[in-house]
Amino acid sequence: MKAGAMRSLIAAVAIAAAAVAIASFGTRTSGQAAQANGQGARRTADGKPDFNGVWQALNEANWDLQAHAARAGAVTQPGIYPYDYARVPAAPVLALGAAGGVPASVGVIEGDGQIPYTPAAAATRQDNAAHWIDRDPELKCYVPGTPRTMYLAHPFQIVQGTSKVQIDFAFANAARTIHLDAVDDPPADTAMGFSRGRWEGDTLVVDSTQLQGNWLDRAGNFYSETAHMVERFTPISNDAIHYDVTIEDPAVFTRPWKISMPLYRRLEPNAQVLEYPCVEFVEEFLYGDARKKQLVKHWEGDTIVIDITRRMRPRQVGER
Amino acid sequence: MERRSVALILAAAAVAAGIGLGHASSMTAAGDARAARDARAARDARKTAWGDPDIQGLWSQKYQTPLQRPARDANKAMLTPEEVAQREAERAQQAASAPKRGDRIAPRGTLEDLTGAYDITFEADPIDTSRPLGPRTSLIVDPPDGRIPQLTPLVQTRMREMRGFMLALMQSVDACRRSQDIACFGVTPGPVSPRRNEPPPYYLAAQIMGDRVINRADGPEDFGLSERCLAGNLPSFGVQQIVQSAGAVSIVYEGFHRVIPITTAPHVPAQIRLWHGDSRGRWEGNTLVVDVTNFTPKTDYQGSREHLHLVERFTRVDANTLEYVVTMDDNTTWEKPWTVKVEMALQDAKANAIYDEPRCHDGNIALKNMLTGARMDDKNFAEGKGPDPATMCYLLCGTGNPEYARQRQEGRSGGAGPAPAAPAAPDTGARGTRR
Repeated sequence: MKAGAMRSLIAAVAIAAAAVAIASFGTRTSGQAAQANGQGARRTADGKPDFNGVWQALNEANWDLQAHAARAGAVTQPGIYPYDYARVPAAPVLALGAAGGVPASVGVIEGDGQIPYTPAAAATRQDNAAHWIDRDPELKCYVPGTPRTMYLAHPFQIVQGTSKVQIDFAFANAARTIHLDAVDDPPADTAMGFSRGRWEGDTLVVDSTQLQGNWLDRAGNFYSETAHMVERFTPISNDAIHYDVTIEDPAVFTRPWKISMPLYRRLEPNAQVLEYPCVEFVEEFLYGDARKKQLVKHWEGDTIVIDITRRMRPRQVGER
Repeated sequence: MERRSVALILAAAAVAAGIGLGHASSMTAAGDARAARDARAARDARKTAWGDPDIQGLWSQKYQTPLQRPARDANKAMLTPEEVAQREAERAQQAASAPKRGDRIAPRGTLEDLTGAYDITFEADPIDTSRPLGPRTSLIVDPPDGRIPQLTPLVQTRMREMRGFMLALMQSVDACRRSQDIACFGVTPGPVSPRRNEPPPYYLAAQIMGDRVINRADGPEDFGLSERCLAGNLPSFGVQQIVQSAGAVSIVYEGFHRVIPITTAPHVPAQIRLWHGDSRGRWEGNTLVVDVTNFTPKTDYQGSREHLHLVERFTRVDANTLEYVVTMDDNTTWEKPWTVKVEMALQDAKANAIYDEPRCHDGNIALKNMLTGARMDDKNFAEGKGPDPATMCYLLCGTGNPEYARQRQEGRSGGAGPAPAAPAAPDTGARGTRR
């Protein structure tokens, strides 16, 4: 049998298997079904799937991993009705008009779409959501952490080296190193965690430990420093990767659960990760109240005056 | 700088020291030809699976070599092995008597003690013994005198104006009436300057940790880029982890990273200005040649801002050595281009796998606290409970060890042209940590 025919047969079997998978598990496995097409995807010189390039998630996961309806503002307040569905944009985002709202999503969590929090963690999540502006590390331009860094609305570049896979992110100048070689344990926890990678067939499996604990989205979903994550990168085609991550954290969740989404190649011929240097962008946000002369004042004259009062407790040392 | 990354750098440096000493002792004239041949053979064999020269690994500067050639070595580019050994002994002796980490630098309870609370732990070691001295007397290989070329009148003027602004804000500082502290160098005591209410005449791009240059804390912009977690830019002669693929080379430095696309495409449009510039790489034989432009005017490398143009050359000259040669070209800043060569030693990838996460910003409680402290000073003064902040020292007044001060002063005056507005880079040429 010729090699090409063999590949066709393998592809056919894989597609058939995927079809069975769809029949068995419903539409949630559509990502894996598409993976079968990845058999013909481009490969590196050493025969691995070629993930080199600029990629980006194209979804609303960073707003909320779970299914959610669109809403009027990233921060809302009660309107004239008492209903949650009739809330109106609150002062911090009012001036942004239609750009200040939140887009809807069917969610990116496999299975029942729920995050299996312990009761205490569920309460923390609600509290986080209620204090989003003051607590979300993204707003402070902190290192976004694994896996959130993979689905921010910013591109990243994968450089698939011989013994390391380096991922360089636009946001916050963050980076991850995935070690394919044997390396000693790190001396401390980090936001991105310590990632060891291995190939299982055409899937790059990345095992991350020594995570600091971080937020997962703008809705206040989170994990703790006892988390363990396993990410899987599988080619769908030259230009799409099936990405999923299983999160296990007995301090926060009652069982492991899985986020699943495609990552898309940025196909512009001149695609390039340009820095998003938010450290300087957030100086006013973080330090503006400690200026001698306030820069951001109440609006004046014939323009809208929005009175924004922010009550923040001082940051504690080490607080994220 | 984060404590963890300090420890890891030291670990890396110790490894480098071991390799470096071995290398130095094997450098005999008779072995040179054979070594060169071996190097060529090793180089040719070191290819990636896709056929490019393989420069991957964790690399760290091999020798402790000053950026610019010191006056004592004028007209002397290379040291003999005997001279290197003699200077190693001198350095060890000096290091033994120099300030140590944890040394108290001013009497407890004094203002100097408070303002100097960042002790030597946060300073570059005045005498760094973490690496062996190399055979060269300067990292600069061109011009042949090993010195940064003369600054253009344009930049000299800018530096004079910046220096004038700094001095204006220091003239009312009490500490400068009482001592010859390094922070008071060049200050003529006087009344409170009206310039305290002005912004700096140019963007304040000082990078070096601990070297605040503006004696004021009205807002984050009065602080150095290191304190704002914005420092750490190119060229970088420090630790670097290189990962490469067929189309791109990624380099992670201490606290920042860059991706170098291998491409013939032109640079990004001129309106895009970047902290780490825009890199375009190509292979020339066994050398990765990288052209870097589009820097932001918020950076300042030895006086060069947005017009900085780098041409970098990375060559793996043997299994454990990466030669990094970079030419700085900016005719608005220097009368001619100049070139630095740095030997980088391969580090143990297993022991030094992780070396940094850019978290300066995440842990930057200090900036908020310094600003808040300054507001408390304002309030106390307004209520008649404290001195006029204009008479207080917000710089590192009190790092008053005379020997240390003398060495720092030498470092400062070592640059070309007039006293620099931003302090000269330390002799290693390394820049501060970012994030």
